[in-house]
Amino acid sequence: MVADTVSAVAPARPQIRIQGVVKSYAGRVVVNIDDTVLGASPIEGLIGPNGAGKTTLMRLIMHSTALDRGTISLLPPTGGEVVLSSQSSNRMAHHGVVKSNQVIMDFDRLTVLDSLLLAAAEGTYEQPHRIFSEKTVYRRHKDEIRHYLDFFGFADPTAFALSAGEKKLLDIVRCLLLKPTFLLLDEPTAGLPEDLTDKVMVVVRELAAAGTSVVIVEHDLNVIWNLCDEVLFMAEGSVILRGDPQSIRSHRTVVEKYLGEGHV
Amino acid sequence: MTFDFLDSFLITGLFSVVMVTGLALLLHLQLGLTRIANFGVVGFWGIGMYVFGVLYVKVDWSFGDPYQFLVCAAIATIASGLAGLLVGWLIADLDTDGVLVVTLGFATAVQLVATAQDDITGGARGMGGLDFPFDIGKVKDNELLWLGFTMAVVAGILFYVWRVHRSPYGRHLIAVGANERLARSLGKSTSRTKLWLFVIASAAMGLLGAMNGVMVRFLDIGNLGIDITLAAMAGLILGGTARVWGAVVGVFLTVGVFDIVIQSYLPLPREWYTQAIPVMREAIFGLTLIIVLLFRPYGILGDMRRDSLMRKIHGR
Amino acid sequence: MDFILQSLVIGLTENAPLVLAAIGFALLYKLTGLINVAYSETITLGAYFGMWLNTTYGLDFYTVLIPAGLLAGVVSLVTYLVLFRPAKRRNVGGLEMIIISFGLSIFLRHALQFVFGYPERFFDVPPPDTIMLFGVGVTSFRLLALASVAVISLLLWLFIQRTSYGLQMRALASDEALAKVSGIRPLAVTMLVWAIAGVAGGMAGAFYGVGTSVSPLLGWRQFLLILMVALVGRNWGLGGVIAVGICTSVALVAMALQFDQALYAQLVLIVIFIVILKVRGSRLAETAKV
Repeated sequence: MVADTVSAVAPARPQIRIQGVVKSYAGRVVVNIDDTVLGASPIEGLIGPNGAGKTTLMRLIMHSTALDRGTISLLPPTGGEVVLSSQSSNRMAHHGVVKSNQVIMDFDRLTVLDSLLLAAAEGTYEQPHRIFSEKTVYRRHKDEIRHYLDFFGFADPTAFALSAGEKKLLDIVRCLLLKPTFLLLDEPTAGLPEDLTDKVMVVVRELAAAGTSVVIVEHDLNVIWNLCDEVLFMAEGSVILRGDPQSIRSHRTVVEKYLGEGHV
Repeated sequence: MTFDFLDSFLITGLFSVVMVTGLALLLHLQLGLTRIANFGVVGFWGIGMYVFGVLYVKVDWSFGDPYQFLVCAAIATIASGLAGLLVGWLIADLDTDGVLVVTLGFATAVQLVATAQDDITGGARGMGGLDFPFDIGKVKDNELLWLGFTMAVVAGILFYVWRVHRSPYGRHLIAVGANERLARSLGKSTSRTKLWLFVIASAAMGLLGAMNGVMVRFLDIGNLGIDITLAAMAGLILGGTARVWGAVVGVFLTVGVFDIVIQSYLPLPREWYTQAIPVMREAIFGLTLIIVLLFRPYGILGDMRRDSLMRKIHGR
Repeated sequence: MDFILQSLVIGLTENAPLVLAAIGFALLYKLTGLINVAYSETITLGAYFGMWLNTTYGLDFYTVLIPAGLLAGVVSLVTYLVLFRPAKRRNVGGLEMIIISFGLSIFLRHALQFVFGYPERFFDVPPPDTIMLFGVGVTSFRLLALASVAVISLLLWLFIQRTSYGLQMRALASDEALAKVSGIRPLAVTMLVWAIAGVAGGMAGAFYGVGTSVSPLLGWRQFLLILMVALVGRNWGLGGVIAVGICTSVALVAMALQFDQALYAQLVLIVIFIVILKVRGSRLAETAKV
């Protein structure tokens, strides 16, 4: 049913289609999705109890974890179809599919500026014979890097990211510098103070307005209710419900399984 | 100008310091930046030396030196580069354990082939007939000039490494070494990076091998043991794996002390030099690896300082 | 048929120590996750200790075998307590650990020459009888080596699979935290494994040494083969290591008989093992987490 609508009308923004995807660890099925399309709305939220398979699903999309079965493909707004699940993980960024990390990930020997220049630098400048291209790369990207540094208030870009919050922000800014057309955010605001959480939400809204599809996993439900146009509820590896935030928020199953009675 | 203070022991000692410094600088790109422990340095170096030697001695070239040297050394460099391509491909997605096995296996394979193909390489008997691509008089003068050429090549490698630290390529290598998965998620093809890193470093190691062949003028499979890998590794680790100058400082303090200071300046009994000192040299290199990695893992110069480097290049 | 029988008989008798050494190495690797390059010197020292006891006290080979193994076990245990345990406590990384063990290997290999002298040494044993086995001449000595290796391997296997110490080792190897909670004393078990691995390596070394000669490079020459057998075989447990070790031994001899050069046999084996690791490595990279 979903398949018909997708092939009939070329989507206005990139979508990701997940078909017959199964992933299990040691015999336990963690993700089992029959047919779901992500990215139909500008910002989609993915919620569900712990162990519902949200993070695993995101890893499967990025192909940093191998699928047991099924295909995941990208449907760009220009038409056509790119099968992501048959490509290596470093190809995802080239197709504009980018994910921020749930656990803190950093290059511990690189400074903030290094990290951002690394994310922004094009492959041609990173070849072994291009040993004089640092200035070029810096010139090409310094404005956008400066923009994000100022916006998020990094004190000294030539220093190392020390706190967990700084590293988390750095991870998000790296993703932004990759100019994603499909952005997956795995708990982007966990561990961030409120003012920075708000700033992240501002950036995400801007990005979505400019045509990027955003899927966000978040435990802070205020972020979800405020930000998302559509919410998907996952439990036991499958998407069981999807709808606008209001309807999900008041749905009986969600309340029972996840939110708890007092929450509504 | 006279070079009377330079006797042939001292020239040999200086040459081995320069040679090992070159190898340690290349190993620095692999081990220090990208954190790939290449235990097969001698394999690439040996391929360069033997391909050069065999071509130079056994092939009947229609032209003489220096073209004969240039052509043979170029082919030797390419051969080592191709070996690097193969090894780089093999180790691209292996962990440290796998890299140890493959690089060690590769070095052993090179030694086995050189031993088994003794009708070409001379095997255990060795192979003579190599010479300098020029003749400016006495052997000592030739050796001195060759030392100069080798120094120039190693200075070139030093300059390249110095630039790599200041280029997007170096940053990319450090990222691959620090967190390969994260680098991949940023769209970096880490496998291709490792492949090309091995091609370039191996080719340069091969060139150094060929230049070593010219200096010693006699190829012997005894050179294909673990000694040269050990010397490069011990020097690099003592000086500091992550720093440009680590290889230079460390090799002077290890190979320099043994091959120059002890060889030429210490009044030790003559019979020590045949066995006791070479054995002691290796034992102390081994001990150096242990002590430095236990108590000062980044060596004398310490870890790289990207923060001050970035400040220097781009300002605050 | 003759060729196969010949390969089997020579391969098994000549390379029996390889299996023993690989068991010890794999045991240590499984428990500690460390590729201990200095294991090659445990083997070398086993040969030297055996030779020393044999020539100094005039004891015959089978009398010195156990003490030589035990001494090598003590050396192995000491390297753990003096070097590898403190290194682990200092949180030395995996890459640095391998280089440290490489450094120790080099150090021991050369330092032992100051104790035992530079020249090659030999065991002082009477010339062995030759026994015809399936039409192949085998020295009585090598036959006994095969039998001893089989018995020792079986004992080790039984020890690991059947005793409570073996159970503790396996528990510790699979999950250290869980093992601690279950009341296993990690230090005691780890020490035991280092000692056992050392004993196996030392005895293998004594067999190698008595078969040919005793020299500083004795263990190092075998190390790559041992490493590859252990790495390729470990996916199927200890039985896998033994099976791969036996196959390797036989294949080495079969190829050496086919080609006129024994060196090519080693070369082919190195290539085969590397290809196996490459194929397996690609699969691992795909399925790893995070």
